[in-house]
Amino acid sequence: MKALRHLTMAAFFCFLLAGAMYMHGVGTPERTQMDDYFIKSSQEETGANNVVTGILFDYRGFDTLGEASVLFAAASGVILLFRRKRNEQ
Amino acid sequence: MIDAVHWMLSAGIIAAAVMALKGRDLLASVIYLSAMSLMLSLEFYLLQAPDVAIAEAAVGTGLSTAIYIAAIKKTERMEHEGT
Amino acid sequence: MSAIVKTVSAFMTVPMMIFGLYVILHGHLTPGGGFPGGAVMATAVAMLIAAFGLSQSDARKKDAFSLFESIGLLAFIAMAFVGLQSTFFANVLAGHGWIFGSSVSYGPNPGYLETGGVIPIMNFAVGIEVFAALSAVMLAIMLHRREKHD
Repeated sequence: MKALRHLTMAAFFCFLLAGAMYMHGVGTPERTQMDDYFIKSSQEETGANNVVTGILFDYRGFDTLGEASVLFAAASGVILLFRRKRNEQ
Repeated sequence: MIDAVHWMLSAGIIAAAVMALKGRDLLASVIYLSAMSLMLSLEFYLLQAPDVAIAEAAVGTGLSTAIYIAAIKKTERMEHEGT
Repeated sequence: MSAIVKTVSAFMTVPMMIFGLYVILHGHLTPGGGFPGGAVMATAVAMLIAAFGLSQSDARKKDAFSLFESIGLLAFIAMAFVGLQSTFFANVLAGHGWIFGSSVSYGPNPGYLETGGVIPIMNFAVGIEVFAALSAVMLAIMLHRREKHD
């Protein structure tokens, strides 16, 4: 049973090594049509110099709305969990 | 040159993550997690993503460490064996 | 905490708050934005709590932070509804000369503050929300007293 586990781990690490050898180079992203469009026209359409903020708050506004809602729900859950019980005092 | 920095930072991130998992002192684990987050934000900065680097440095290094330490202060510092 | 920690914390709170506000307000020009700026400001609050401890009025402060969290999220959604004459989340203020409405051309420029349309207002709303939410979480955890075991 232990030999089987070691064999599984060895196969997993071989798989990881093979995957890392064929990985695309870090720091040299490929160009796509979408990138070109955002870089070319984001400044004129949104008026923001920071293209990342222009995408986050304008083109992909629903993503930011979901992120803010998730943060709101998480904070509300923590406050609800740590509230003071009324019959305790 | 920059490749060597990338490899060293990646090795440091993995080493800090493993050190955060090992050991029974939860406070030391939190400090290792904070160091991992700092190296991760430096790696993000080197990969030309300053937005993500600022968010990672503010949230991972500053605030989550404070919240973890508050939680440890409210519970126990040492992790129990078993269970 | 010792007097050194208290003095340094009281001295460092103002630069941290101002840096967080700078990151929020220049979110459309430089890297950053509402989320990292709010986190920086909440870190200043966490440092104050760690240095000076809790006071009697912190339960009311937690309620106030909770209120501002709701106000920030509602302001963000309201700014999204402003663009509803074309689509949801449309940037109706950009390039129309009104508030934050200077037009920008493609290419490098020194960065003018009155650009971006609804983006700076949304950044400010999200910054308020993140700051208030994380501070309220920190206060709620610190205010909780352990219950007695049965």
